[in-house]
Amino acid sequence: MSRDELDELAAGYAVGALDAEDRARFETLLRGDEAARRALRRFEETLVRVAAERPEPPPAEVKAALMARIPASPRVGNGARAVALRPRRSVWTVVLAGAMAAGVAAIAVGLAVSSRYEQRLEALGGEARTLKAQLDRQASVLAILRDPATQMVALGGQSPSPGAHARMLWHEKAGGLLVAAGLPAPPPGKAYQLWAIAGTSAPVSAGVFTVDPKGTGSLRVPPLPGVSRVDVFAVTLEPEGGAPAPTGAMYLAGKAA
Amino acid sequence: MNARMREGNRVSAAADLIAAIARGDRGAFERFYDAHAALAFGLIRRILRDPEAAKEVLQEVFWQVWQDAPSYDPSRGSPEAWLVMRAKTRAIDRLRSIRRREQTFVAPVDERVAAATTTRADDPGLAAEDRGLAQGALEQLPGPQRRAIELAFLEGLTQSEIAAKLGEPLGTVKTRIRLGLERLRAAFKVDDA
Repeated sequence: MSRDELDELAAGYAVGALDAEDRARFETLLRGDEAARRALRRFEETLVRVAAERPEPPPAEVKAALMARIPASPRVGNGARAVALRPRRSVWTVVLAGAMAAGVAAIAVGLAVSSRYEQRLEALGGEARTLKAQLDRQASVLAILRDPATQMVALGGQSPSPGAHARMLWHEKAGGLLVAAGLPAPPPGKAYQLWAIAGTSAPVSAGVFTVDPKGTGSLRVPPLPGVSRVDVFAVTLEPEGGAPAPTGAMYLAGKAA
Repeated sequence: MNARMREGNRVSAAADLIAAIARGDRGAFERFYDAHAALAFGLIRRILRDPEAAKEVLQEVFWQVWQDAPSYDPSRGSPEAWLVMRAKTRAIDRLRSIRRREQTFVAPVDERVAAATTTRADDPGLAAEDRGLAQGALEQLPGPQRRAIELAFLEGLTQSEIAAKLGEPLGTVKTRIRLGLERLRAAFKVDDA
């Protein structure tokens, strides 16, 4: 390999831009080749200077959070030495005391660490569950979007809120998604309810939603049992928990194609 | 005392701190943080526009310093390089995960994410890079070399992604990154260690 070629790999590696194959190749070189290590070191030190041209003092809370995370006691294994340095004891006492102190320290540190890790694990588990739920929700919306049988229905504002508008993505078997904008905030104890209407049969509730202060809201609609074809989607203002049949004023409505 | 000796002393002082951190010395960790946090944070902020994400990454990086100090090997590079490379890797990882999230279809479902991607141009917390501040050595490189290094080092693209983005052959991109770094090295007078 030529010097330029080696330097090219080292430079690409230092800036973190090698493609997988080149990266594997250079990492192999790094294990055995002093010239490769030297080339990398040179470029890494160069990048340190690039970074050093624009230091930025971080907010104080980062340090505070870190110091709170770092245990006040030294790492396991350091306690034994202090005990062993005490003079005029038989070797066995010293060894025994050292071992016991180390054992006690290890247990204490172990307990502290394990409880910290348990908390951390629990928090991570919670995060993972939230992310999984988010992903599932997005995957189901994506699946609906990809299906050619999915319809897009535009809902227009009705007399109480002529400026409101919404889009309904709808798939008979997979359900759909309503995204609404320009709706007034519902009065206390009230919420918006979406209805699916087929022909002359009674409207079927598709769920209840509310809006943020900007007047936008969205609702993920599961497949509606017994509903195959929908002619009209409508949104009315109803009591918070939803009503079995529409009772309030209609805010949005749109015809499916 | 000449510059080179001062440099050597500075590095060995930092290396001593890492050795003390490896033994669990909290005070040494605090001193190392005080001396180097701005270096790491400056780079992280150039990579990540979101100040909250940058703070989280900085915390992760120094937490790693605390945990990995026993594995620091001075023959592999200075403590600063050890730190800066970690900061770069973590920040780029975060940047890539933000990009992946933004590319997934989420606009109507999660409007906060959609909003976050559109406010970049007028975000007051914009990275210094975009505010066009001080001219550093990187800015003085010939345009194509500078662009290739920035796309890699600050935006996390791989060499083939850079080639595709700029419509240049891969070999050209590789050469530009090498020549750009060589030129920076000469400008900073980094020794052939």
